[in-house]
Amino acid sequence: MNRGDAVIKVEGVSQAFGAEGDPRRVVALESATLDIARGELLCLIGPSGCGKSTLLNIIGGLATQSTGRVTIDGQEVRGPSPQKVAYVFQENTLFPWRTVIDNVKLGMAFQGVAKAERESRARQSLEAVGLADFAQHYPAQLSGGMKQRVQLARALGLQTEILLMDEPFAALDEQTRMVLGEDLSVLLARTGKTIIFVTHSLVEAVFLADRVAVLTARPGRIKKIIHVDEPHPRKSEFMTSTKLGDLRNELYELLHDEIRKTMTHQPAEAGV
Amino acid sequence: MRPQLGISQRLIQLGVLIFILAAWYIGTMPGHINPLLLPPPIPVFKDFWVLLTTSGIWPDLWVTVHEWIVAVAIAAIAGCSLGYIISRSAYAVRVFDPLLAGIYSIPAILLFPLYLLFFGLGAGSKIAIGTTIAFFPVVLNTIAGLANVDKAYIRAAQSMGANDFQLFWSVMLPAAFPVVLTGLRLGCIIAFLAILGGETISSLAGLGHRIVSLAENMESAQMFANIVFAVLMAFIINGIVSFAEARGRRGFQ
Amino acid sequence: MTATTISSVPRVRRGPVMSPGWARLLAIFILLALWEIGARLYADPLFLCPPSQAIASLPHIFGDPKIVNAIRVTILELVAAFSMSVTIGLAIGLAVGLHGFTKQSILPVILMLYATPQATILPLFVLIFGIGPAAKIAFGVSHGIFPVIVTTVAGVQNLRPQLLRAAHSMGASRWQVFTSIIFPHMIPSFFTGMRLGMTAVLLGVLLAELYVSTAGIGFYTRLFAESFSPPDLFALISVLAAIAVTLNELCRMAERHFRRWNAD
Repeated sequence: MNRGDAVIKVEGVSQAFGAEGDPRRVVALESATLDIARGELLCLIGPSGCGKSTLLNIIGGLATQSTGRVTIDGQEVRGPSPQKVAYVFQENTLFPWRTVIDNVKLGMAFQGVAKAERESRARQSLEAVGLADFAQHYPAQLSGGMKQRVQLARALGLQTEILLMDEPFAALDEQTRMVLGEDLSVLLARTGKTIIFVTHSLVEAVFLADRVAVLTARPGRIKKIIHVDEPHPRKSEFMTSTKLGDLRNELYELLHDEIRKTMTHQPAEAGV
Repeated sequence: MRPQLGISQRLIQLGVLIFILAAWYIGTMPGHINPLLLPPPIPVFKDFWVLLTTSGIWPDLWVTVHEWIVAVAIAAIAGCSLGYIISRSAYAVRVFDPLLAGIYSIPAILLFPLYLLFFGLGAGSKIAIGTTIAFFPVVLNTIAGLANVDKAYIRAAQSMGANDFQLFWSVMLPAAFPVVLTGLRLGCIIAFLAILGGETISSLAGLGHRIVSLAENMESAQMFANIVFAVLMAFIINGIVSFAEARGRRGFQ
Repeated sequence: MTATTISSVPRVRRGPVMSPGWARLLAIFILLALWEIGARLYADPLFLCPPSQAIASLPHIFGDPKIVNAIRVTILELVAAFSMSVTIGLAIGLAVGLHGFTKQSILPVILMLYATPQATILPLFVLIFGIGPAAKIAFGVSHGIFPVIVTTVAGVQNLRPQLLRAAHSMGASRWQVFTSIIFPHMIPSFFTGMRLGMTAVLLGVLLAELYVSTAGIGFYTRLFAESFSPPDLFALISVLAAIAVTLNELCRMAERHFRRWNAD
């Protein structure tokens, strides 16, 4: 299904630590090339240490690549682009000294959004994630799932075209993940953003994505891209359908050997 | 983890207290302990009551408290400023943090004779020793607080487009605040102890000075009463400062 | 510890920078140089002297047998106070920490005493013990026992009850349990207590010495201050500071050694 033109182009991006010939050299990512269309939801999936988070950070401008380039709307990425890209992190990055709504407003304040508009956008975002009643709470008073929803609200409030999500549900239990996944799908259908989503979960990848990019074990290369042809918003029936089951099995086949390779050859490293 | 103190433990503590008071009373009855070394309890309580209810001690109390406030203020400003400057560079932290920690391990009281030489016997030397000793926990904690801000917060703020000033003001300062506050509390407490020590060694006025003069004049009961008063002041200051720290931390945890 | 610096782009590795150790020495050297120049140009020689003059005074300090004796006595006082603090503190710490009952009733009293400003009772110590070494040793012990007691109690406290049960089930007597389980378990905390105790003893003994201005070190610090001879005073203080640092460092090395041995 042709969603739109490529808004993000990743061309031959590699990321390596250490010099050539250095025995301790680590190649996190090797020659990744990928186009992401406007309005699509792309999942990056792969074994630990395959460089999926690294690729996400490079696209978002939070890390620099060793070779290759990334462009967004034709402009090369050299640093964070807060006007275009909003981030949802895996770990909790809500500031504990601010209320929920102040946390949502903070990013907008950084970018010089007017005070009145900050308030209305923040309230809208919290409504969208179903936490409008918790605006005056502090993060410490919220559960893990709620904190992630607030982070999502914060990202939505920035009203960027692109949303990057780095294993946002990793710290949550599976049941919460399922429900949040459904909510996310509804939300994203409504907003029409371009989203790149890193996950470990095969089911989550198939359920949410338009395309799933499978990465190999380190050094990470894009092994295959799978299409999920299912309209948004994804309904809960999709979760139990054979179509999803088949796609999940296909992912499993692709990933199984890569995961084995990770376990026998390298010590697991988180967050790469 | 504080186990709830049962009745029996409280009784034991009370028993210890009563035992001490009784031993004190009996031991100082005529013919036992030299009253110059340990005066009987009743005169001590009487003199202590006088201290609490009259204004005789206020001038000296004010001298000590004033020295303490000035010392803490200077140490706080200098410590936070230097701590901030050093924390801006990872290299500077690696160079200066161990250096400052090393200097801190030298007993600061050794500097006091130098301050006496330089500032004289008045408040200046006590303020100087108080400032010197309070400076270190403040600067070390400021460095620790600012340099160890959770990187996740910084990445999040950068991804949202914070510039350097916004990053410092909205993220690093609030994140570092609890640690800095602890440093200030420690500084306050040890400054007070250092100032009492300085007044004891050599001074013209203040709580420590009173105790020394009473000792020299062999006024044991009054000396004991003044000691209790000074200890009480120390506990009050501890309490105020700890309370302030707890309140300050509450908004930021 | 890597500091978090304010920069929005990941930092590129620069060329070789001076190692922090050398940078520290350079910083100290610069400070000494500034002190030297500043003192020479601006300082009133009655109040402040450049470091070179202070160093030049060292032979004068060491050449006077009475001053050397005062320093020697101070060192002996430190060693005596430290040994006594450690033994008494260990004994009390074990007595209090091993029995839950005593711990809960007596420990709070000890902690309260620990928190009192001991400078206020220094004149009392001198009244009781006189102006000789006894008062200084006593005051030093009064400072030093508390960290030892508190860390000993903490060291005993963290023992997992399963270990004790296992030992009892194998038929160990109380003494055997003590020597083979409790004592080794407590060693790392004890050495930390020793290090903190050394710092406290230094404070106590030096404070007492400086207070008693009719003999010992206190006499000479007062003499040099009142006669406005900063070089002598700086030199004497530096010697004392060097002694303090050495003693602290010895205790720190002992602590590191024994903590490594018993990595728990």
